[in-house]
Parts: sequence; structure tokens; C-alpha cells
Amino acid sequence: MRNRSLTSRILLNVLAWSIVFVIAFPLVWMILTSVKPQFELFRIPPTILPQEVTFEHYHRVLVETPFLKYFRNSVILAVGTTVLVIVIATLGAHSLVRFSYPGRERLAQLVLFTYLLPSVVLIIPLYLLMVWLGIANTLFSLMLAYTTFALPFALWLLRSFMQGIPQDLEAAALVDGASRMEAFVDVILPQAVPGIISTALFTFILAWNEYLYALVLVNTDEARPLTTGVMNMLITAFNIEWSLLMAASVMMSLPVIIVFALLQKHLTRGFGAGGVKG
Amino acid sequence: MAEVTFDKVRKAFGSAVAVRELDLAIRSGEFVSLLGPSGCGKTTTLRMLAGLETPTSGAISIDGTVVNELAPAKRDIAMVFQSYALYPHMSVAQNIAYPLKKRGVSRADRDVRVAAVAATLQLGALLDRKPRQLSGGQQQRVALGRALVRDPRVFLLDEPLSNLDAKLRAHMRAELIELHRRIGKTMVYVTHDQLEAMTMSDRIAVMHDGVLQQFGTPKEVYETPANLFVASFIGSPGMNLVKGELRAAGSGLAFVRGDLSLPVANGGTAGAAVTLGVRPEDITLGAGPFACTIRVVEPTGHETIVMAEAAGETLVARAAPDSQLVPGQVVPFAVRAQRLHAFDADGRRLPLVFAQSNGA
Ligand SMILES: Nc1ncnc2c1ncn2[C@@H]1O[C@H](COP(=O)(O)OP(=O)(O)O)[C@@H](O)[C@H]1O
Ligand SMILES: [Mg+2]
Repeated sequence: MRNRSLTSRILLNVLAWSIVFVIAFPLVWMILTSVKPQFELFRIPPTILPQEVTFEHYHRVLVETPFLKYFRNSVILAVGTTVLVIVIATLGAHSLVRFSYPGRERLAQLVLFTYLLPSVVLIIPLYLLMVWLGIANTLFSLMLAYTTFALPFALWLLRSFMQGIPQDLEAAALVDGASRMEAFVDVILPQAVPGIISTALFTFILAWNEYLYALVLVNTDEARPLTTGVMNMLITAFNIEWSLLMAASVMMSLPVIIVFALLQKHLTRGFGAGGVKG
Repeated sequence: MAEVTFDKVRKAFGSAVAVRELDLAIRSGEFVSLLGPSGCGKTTTLRMLAGLETPTSGAISIDGTVVNELAPAKRDIAMVFQSYALYPHMSVAQNIAYPLKKRGVSRADRDVRVAAVAATLQLGALLDRKPRQLSGGQQQRVALGRALVRDPRVFLLDEPLSNLDAKLRAHMRAELIELHRRIGKTMVYVTHDQLEAMTMSDRIAVMHDGVLQQFGTPKEVYETPANLFVASFIGSPGMNLVKGELRAAGSGLAFVRGDLSLPVANGGTAGAAVTLGVRPEDITLGAGPFACTIRVVEPTGHETIVMAEAAGETLVARAAPDSQLVPGQVVPFAVRAQRLHAFDADGRRLPLVFAQSNGA
């Protein structure tokens, strides 16, 4: 047992670290490149560690480009989408779990149906719809578009989560004098917090990183998020501004990393164990 | 104080019928048990009374007012759930205070009443704990506390003791009896444990497959069970049931099974198939007109349970703890004629009166 565990531990570690290396290398390279001076970038042989550290690229991205405007757009877009999706999905999932009405199961399945269509197929109709609604080329139109494809997954995630919340809890609240909405807010929501956080995280990352819809549905700087905005300004047919691109990329990744770091302890935290006897 | 009436109440879940045409009139201040095996519709009945399920048909009234369409919050009922259903994210104090909070009781009043209930239920030291930090018995008391903190018209309790160990259960049983005596509220108590129902209730409603079998005092359901189901469900060890028929014997009738014959003093028609019911304590071993072979002897300390064979039937009898019976022994026995039960082919109680028999 002991022998086996030693060799297998070594093997496991080698394997794990090689995977970590493969995944982490581009990220590390991105950060290193972003602080290398321009002349060092294309040197042969390449330097691994920068010989001179400079924050000039960050300064240029922040001051000379509309990066901050895109950043603001992305924040509004991701936060807005997340809030919208969470509000609709928690109420919707609660309904799918607790209320009985004809076609409830069918509805839950239909919700997933949108995933059967490749997203490219939906872009043109969606764009025309936005034009027709008079909201084309706005952040709001993107928010709606993102909601349409984050919502089904969010609903399912929260539905399976809420199925784990004992039905008696809500019944007890009703008998104790709560209205349906009060029972939902007082008892169901607190139990659903870990599920809501995972769903929020998923939606936020999805909205933050989305590229295709942003490219097609929006063509003004006023409503452009970081993904398309950065591509647009730094990658032209003639030239790719590598160092600026890397600096922008680092700054783009930061919010996701921060949000994830803040929320990840909630992701794993169990809920309400022991409140209801088996 | 409140009367509760079920009038032809039926509840179906799709094609499955959980409760059938239930008629039940519970008097104000009464302690009524709904007793029956798992799945017989006890919880459904309680949930309908609480307003958590809507009856498919029929009417439920509290104090003469039909409450079918009334929201649970408006019924002024307190319920202890089988699962306790304590709010996991709230402390014990918050759990107990929740019904008061929802009814707009001021914070100061809430604190006073929570403290009072906590004192009664010995929860004072646990008020800041979360439910998951409590033992089963403590959780059960918190669930009870959440119901007691208000002054509702009716208390509903759904198998509140079923998850406790035997000793704690006996203790809580006594506590609940004492509690009911003190506050005198109408209580509907669900249980599948006939001992709980027998010891605690003013009246017992015995249910089976969604149908009310009998509604009466513990003495009534024990001494005059309305049918075979009630007869066999109530009592431990259960009633001995012997299938036979009525035959003409001498000037009257007799119940006959193999070489066993019991004269009937009154009632019955010759040729009718009858099931005879004998409680274990109504069999006297050692003397009498019949003979049996002892098979198993189980001393429990305060009595001895004996399994014996007579006329091809296994009979269970209670004997004194000091009885010197051994398996294989053939002993005479008698039955107490005035305490025998008879049921017809459909399991309904027959008004037969047996005569004390002198010989086989
Ligand atoms: N929500 C429900 N949906 C479908 N069937 C149910 C539901 N609740 C109870 N039943 C059925 O009704 C019957 C009675 O259940 P219940 O009242 O919980 O029994 P008990 O409390 O006596 O064990 C059972 O057969 C059960 O499967
Ligand atoms: Mg039940």
C-alpha cells in the first residue's frame, strides 16, 4: 500500500504539473510579454524573463485607446446580464420545482431546445429583432441576447439545485404565516445562495468573454465590449500590436479572476445540512 | 379553541387517491390521533387541514367556517412537520420567533415569548445554535417550540416522535400529554405507532388505504374494533385471528374450526364464514376446555409471550412471568368468552355473543 502510494503519488504529481504547465504557460507568457519593452519581443533567441520591466504598454492602452470605455461597457454588460438572468432564473426555477401546472416538465425540456441550434443561426434573426425593437447597436440589445442563451442553462442549474431544498421548509413558512413570496425570500432564497452564486459566476464569465454576438450585433464604440473592442483597435489588416494586446488581455482577465477568487469559497460551501432530518 | 370538521373530504393525486370520503368531527380541545400504516393518507389529511393541499372534493371547516380556499397563513394553525423543517440558516431563537415575526409581533414581545417557550422546552442554552448543531431530540423540541410560541386554534403534529430513540420518545410522549392537559388546545396528532395513539389520545381515527376505519376512544378501538383491520392493527402482540364457520350445535350455534368449538349465545346464522378474534391476554393457559402445544416461549421480564398451536393455528398468548412452560408441552387453555371478537367474510365486526364454554 505504502509503496504503491509513493510511486503513484509521484506519477500523479508529474501528470498534474504537466497539465498545469500546459494550461498556465500561455497566461504566464501573456503577462511576461506585456511587461517587456517593444524591442525585446521579437529577439531571437527569445528571452523568457523580461530583461527590463516596463509598464509603458499598460499606460498606452489606458491613456491612448478607448480601452476604459470598452471596459466600462463590459462591466455594465456582464453585471446587467448576470442580474437579469439570476432574477428570472431563480423565480423560474422555483416555479418549475414547486408549482404544478400542465406541461411543466415539457416546458423545462423546451427551455434547453435553444441549445440544439448553432448560435450563428440565431444571430441574424436576433439582429433583425433588435432593429425592429429599435434597440439595435445598444448595450441593452447585447444584454438581452446574452440573457437568451445564458438563461436556459441557468434555469437548469438552479432547478436541479432547488430540487434539493426540502419542500417542507416552504410549507413550514406558509403555516408560520408567510405569504408565498415571503416564504420564497425568507426560506428558499437563503438555501439557494450557493446555487445562485455558481449560476451568477457562470453567467458573468459567459457575458464577459462573449465575442461572436458582440461582433455582429454592435458596431459602435459606444456599445462595444472589451472582446470586440480590443480586437478592433489593436488588430488591423496590416499590424498586430502585440505588446498592447498583451497588456489589454491581462487587464481583461483581471475582473474574472477577481470575481472568481471572491466567490469560489461560496461555490463549495454546503448548504443547510442538518436543518431537516433524513 | 376550535372544532375541526372533515365533510366527505377526498384527495387524489392524479389517479392515485390518498384520502377517500373522510368524515371526521373533532371536538374543541380534543387530542385526536390519526393512526395507520405508512402511506394510508395521514400526512395528506393533515396537510389539507393546514392548507398545504387543496381537497379534490368535500369541505374542511374550523369552528364552522369552511376553510378550503383559505391560505395556510390565515388558518391560525401551528404544525410540527415530520421532517421538523427547521430553517437551516436561522438560529434556534430565530426559528422559534419566525411565526411571531410574520404576524407582526414587536421585537421586544418576540424576545419575551421565545424566552418563555425556550424555558418550557429546556432550549435556553441552545438559542444561538443553528439547527444542524442540534441532536434529533433537540431539533424536535425546537420544532415544537416554533408551534407553541403562538397561540393557534389548532396544533398539528406529524409523527413528531418517530425519529427519536425509544427512551426519549417515551419521555416526549409524557411531555406532550402534559402539554395538552395544560393548554387544552385542539391537537391532531399523526402517528403509525399504535402505542403512541393509545396512550396519548382522547380519540383515535384509524386509517387504512385512505379510508377511515374507525373513530373512537382508545378503549373503544381496542375493545370493539370495527373491522379486521383495526382488530389486527391495534394491540401488540396482535389479536389472534382464527377463520372458521358457524354451525348448528345442540339448541343453538357454535363457532367451529377443526376440533375447536365455541358455543354462541346470541346472533349469527348457521353456515356463515366467521373470523374469530382473541387477544393474547384473553387466553388463559393451564386450565380449560381446549388443548394446545407450546411452540415458543419468550420471557420479556414483566410477562411471557407464548406461541402455541391448536387446531392447526398458531395462537399467541400472554402468560405470567413466572410460568414454567417449555416448548413441546401440551397444556389446556381457556378463552374469555365475553371478550371475543367476531368478523364476517368482509371483515366487518359481527355482534356475536359467545357463551362461556365448558368442553370441546
Ligand atoms: N404530492 C403527492 N403526489 C402524489 N402522491 C402523493 C403525494 N403525497 C402523497 N401521495 C400519496 O398519497 C398516499 C398517502 O400519502 P401520505 O398522506 O403521505 O401517507 P402517510 O402520511 O399516512 O404515510 C401515498 O400513497 C402517497 O404516495
Ligand atoms: Mg406521513
